[in-house]
Amino acid sequence: MGIGELISTYGEIYLQSLMKTWGMTLISFCLAMIIALVITVMRVSPMRPLRMAGDLYVQIFRNIPGVSLLVIVVYALPYLQLTLPYETCALVTITLVVSAFASENLMTGINTIGVGQIEAARSVGLSFGQILRHVVIPQALRSVVLPMTNLLIGTLLTTALASQVPLNPPELTGMVNYVNSRSVGGIGAFFISALGYAGTSVIIGLIGNRLDQRVRILR
Amino acid sequence: MTEDQRIDTVSSTHDAGAQPSIEHAASSAAEQSSSSVPTIEMRHVDKHFGDLHVLRDINLRVEKGEVLVVIGPSGSGKSTLIRTINRLETIDSGEILLEGKTLPLEGKELAALRSEVGMVFQSFNLFAHKTILENVTMGPIQVLGMPKKEAEEKAMELLKRVGVAEQAAKVPAQLSGGQQQRVAIARSLAMNPKAMLFDEPTSALDPEMINEVLEVMVELAQGGMTMIVVTHEMNFARRVANRVIFMADGQIVEEDTPANFFDNPKTDRARDFLDSIKGH
Repeated sequence: MGIGELISTYGEIYLQSLMKTWGMTLISFCLAMIIALVITVMRVSPMRPLRMAGDLYVQIFRNIPGVSLLVIVVYALPYLQLTLPYETCALVTITLVVSAFASENLMTGINTIGVGQIEAARSVGLSFGQILRHVVIPQALRSVVLPMTNLLIGTLLTTALASQVPLNPPELTGMVNYVNSRSVGGIGAFFISALGYAGTSVIIGLIGNRLDQRVRILR
Repeated sequence: MTEDQRIDTVSSTHDAGAQPSIEHAASSAAEQSSSSVPTIEMRHVDKHFGDLHVLRDINLRVEKGEVLVVIGPSGSGKSTLIRTINRLETIDSGEILLEGKTLPLEGKELAALRSEVGMVFQSFNLFAHKTILENVTMGPIQVLGMPKKEAEEKAMELLKRVGVAEQAAKVPAQLSGGQQQRVAIARSLAMNPKAMLFDEPTSALDPEMINEVLEVMVELAQGGMTMIVVTHEMNFARRVANRVIFMADGQIVEEDTPANFFDNPKTDRARDFLDSIKGH
């Protein structure tokens, strides 16, 4: 089956799977950012147990292969009386992994802020929370737009993990199996999915660059 | 401090603001030393950085309206000394009092205290992501709970006073070092501090920008602000300081009026040091 034929036969469901990939990327990235913010605040807090818990979280989820983590979420959580739908399992896995990397990005961003600014904020009388909210986090976020853009592309590609569980409709990678189990699509079926990933990545990259230039802090 | 005393000190600040001569500021500070509580007092303060004994039994009184210049070779502990006063550095033993009250250790009281003592750093430390105006309004809005409009009006007034009002909408990186340092002074003043600490405020500046910052500081001193200034600017010290303390190896080695100290240092250490900085 040629690519033209594949598209005419499966075009609509390819589009659905692209939407699924986009949706999963968006949901897991947004959740991961929120979790990363919480974890990062823990990691810079004055309380040692919080810092240790935050560091531990990052070490665990940064260092487990996504597929292994997915297996754990799918097969181990039911032992804890927690059986999640397959798509949720995939989302949880991706979110955990991405949040660990996002927290590392944020830590890098925090390290770009001179200790002097924090001392200045303290000497003005701002509390720890106010310093985080008004001085540290806004600057950290603005200085990590490019690494976060990379991570968003990474998230997009990581959603391919979900091809290991049955979804309906499948996401882009699962779609290849779907097509190839019904027709002889061969490499062409992969190619169409790859176009979906590559096109999205290019767009994300462009938007990330523009955003970075707009919010970058003059130093 | 009682309510009455507070009102009293506020009104006397206003009096002092009415362009007193330097002599007047000096003599009024001296008069008060016998009667009222000092604005800043350090009693037997010691501090170590590991094995290094950076502050050795520091005893110091700074009266209201007094300008104290701290001078000494690098590593003598002078920066550490003023940083302990708003607790950017902790101390090992001894006591630091502000208007007779011991420095709180942590939490809200400490934050409140810090807002009452302004601090100006060598490297300006303006908030890089905020405009000049926002740099000055952040403290009053967040810490004092001042309405935004009022804070902005006050900030513009202060920026005008230090001569950078037309830069209000820019971000720090767009300003020269001298302008940034003047903004940092305005940022501290916005909190209505009882005292101001300056940690080598002109050391990071290009020579042509030093004077514009010193001028602002001279005006502040003449306006009756209580100040501790770590600096090597001898002309500044001669013009406005009531007292100079010379530090070496974490100790206050010498303490005198600027004229006596610079013209007639009593210790060899001070003499050597003065010789070394007079060269430039």
